[in-house]
Amino acid sequence: MAELSVNLAGIKLRNPLILASGIMGVSTASMKFVEKNGAGAVTMKSIGPVDRVGHKNPTVYSWGEGLHNAVGLSNPGAQEGRDHLKDMMRTLSIPVVASCFADTVDNIAKVAATMLEAKPAILELNLSCPNTEDDFGRMFALDVKATERAVTLVKKIAGKTKIFAKLSPDTADIVDIGKAAEAAGADGLTAINTLSGLVIDVHLKRPVLTNKMGGLSGPAIKPVAVRAVYNLYKAVKIPIIGTGGVNTGEDAIELIMAGAAAIGVGSAIYYRGIDVFKKITDEMKEFMEKEGYKSVGEMRGVAHKS
Amino acid sequence: MQHDKPLILAIQKVITENARVKSFSFDYDFPGKPGQFVMVWIPGYDEKPFGIVKIDGKFLITVAAVGDSTKALHKMRVGDKLGFRGPYGSYFTLSNSKKPIAMVAGGYGMASLALLAQEARKSRRDVHLFLGARNKNELLYLSWAKKIGLKLHLSTDDGSAGFKGYNTDLFAKEVDKIKPEKVYVVGPEIMEVKVAKTCYEKNIPFEVSLERYMKCGFGICGQCCVDPTGWRMCVEGPVLNQDQLSHVTEFGKYHRTPSGKIIHYK
Repeated sequence: MAELSVNLAGIKLRNPLILASGIMGVSTASMKFVEKNGAGAVTMKSIGPVDRVGHKNPTVYSWGEGLHNAVGLSNPGAQEGRDHLKDMMRTLSIPVVASCFADTVDNIAKVAATMLEAKPAILELNLSCPNTEDDFGRMFALDVKATERAVTLVKKIAGKTKIFAKLSPDTADIVDIGKAAEAAGADGLTAINTLSGLVIDVHLKRPVLTNKMGGLSGPAIKPVAVRAVYNLYKAVKIPIIGTGGVNTGEDAIELIMAGAAAIGVGSAIYYRGIDVFKKITDEMKEFMEKEGYKSVGEMRGVAHKS
Repeated sequence: MQHDKPLILAIQKVITENARVKSFSFDYDFPGKPGQFVMVWIPGYDEKPFGIVKIDGKFLITVAAVGDSTKALHKMRVGDKLGFRGPYGSYFTLSNSKKPIAMVAGGYGMASLALLAQEARKSRRDVHLFLGARNKNELLYLSWAKKIGLKLHLSTDDGSAGFKGYNTDLFAKEVDKIKPEKVYVVGPEIMEVKVAKTCYEKNIPFEVSLERYMKCGFGICGQCCVDPTGWRMCVEGPVLNQDQLSHVTEFGKYHRTPSGKIIHYK
């Protein structure tokens, strides 16, 4: 029997699939619905300092070869976010990953402090949302020093919670940033966030998204994710949650062979339905049985041996 | 075929329904089942869900000018372009029997029920429509409803047409005489709650369209998930039957803002 459970930075997951941040919202009910459909863990939508409505619609649509979104970090603010998180942790039986963002390094540490009161298994620092440049300026995850400082500040107050840094592919070298996060004490990395892109509707002669620029996700970005995970795996010792364009069991295994310890799943819900978690784990099992793998760990990083 | 990338269509005709409501028709047979919706992109303003209506074979949307984006839409003319994504969501179901059905529509609810009414009339079923509005000028699609032979039970807040009062009260009074096989309900949530209560008490099957703020429309953003089931009103909803609705504890009590904050109904 192929064993799907994994150990991610000391946290046991029933399978390696983690609902990616920003998918399925902030409510306990929606996270429970994802748990019922087979996820190994869920990431709550990113929480910031204050209540934020985000951008006006259109905020999410399919451009044809993937999804394009600029929701704009809508969230109910840190206090309410922490209460949601507590409620989620009480209600769900799988681990909950909290996620937070802010406009400055000091502010992200403040939001993190509030979220940490709930003692989540993992806190993911969203250092790299591409959709708020106008109000937030350049992302931290593009800057080695800012990444280092953010991780250092949060790590000091983390207690037993594992701190993961979510990295952007929109940088000269994602590996430098990943190494900086590791050096600052991060327990893991999440790679990649969406890739910034622009789509113009030629009939209306204007960008589709209200924010104009938005994050690309879905199958089209999978090779970018595989490349990032592959290069990070060579450079760091901490575990990596591989995220980007995973739709099938083989997609997940591809990222695991590149070095991922767990897999983020998001846009796949659009492509294959909310039960995509069950579908992907079934496909992973089938592959593993055919190829003679007994555990997910055995497949991890095998592509580096070739 | 489902359009997930906005399909751009030019307005073919603008119909003034009343002082606050206009319909816009398009030269495209937009796919969709009764109760499903389209996300309409009003360039430069917003993207919002609207029921898919087809009257005399023309695809149209019906829009009340209530906010910035819908007011902007009201200023648009023939030839101006809008983007459409969809059809999205669950839909109303109609049995093959010949038994009468009833519909309760308030506000712009009739826009989500028009396709269903047409389908039922094709098989010559009796369709009792409890149409309610503030006054007689706001009774939506009235001439069309008469033309396709709906049995009308009108009500207005000011008594300018039909029963003076709420359509929910008129429905509760008359439903025993009609004995509908099923009741279809679309309108403000407070209206839906009252009709649902009547139907539960009388043990009449019903379907209701539950509106929640939406972003993606195709099930990934989580904005329209309801408590405690987590069902997405753009995929598992908006149309729910009486059994499904009984699990949705937030029905009639609260909804969420675009930021995810809970707002209780007064």
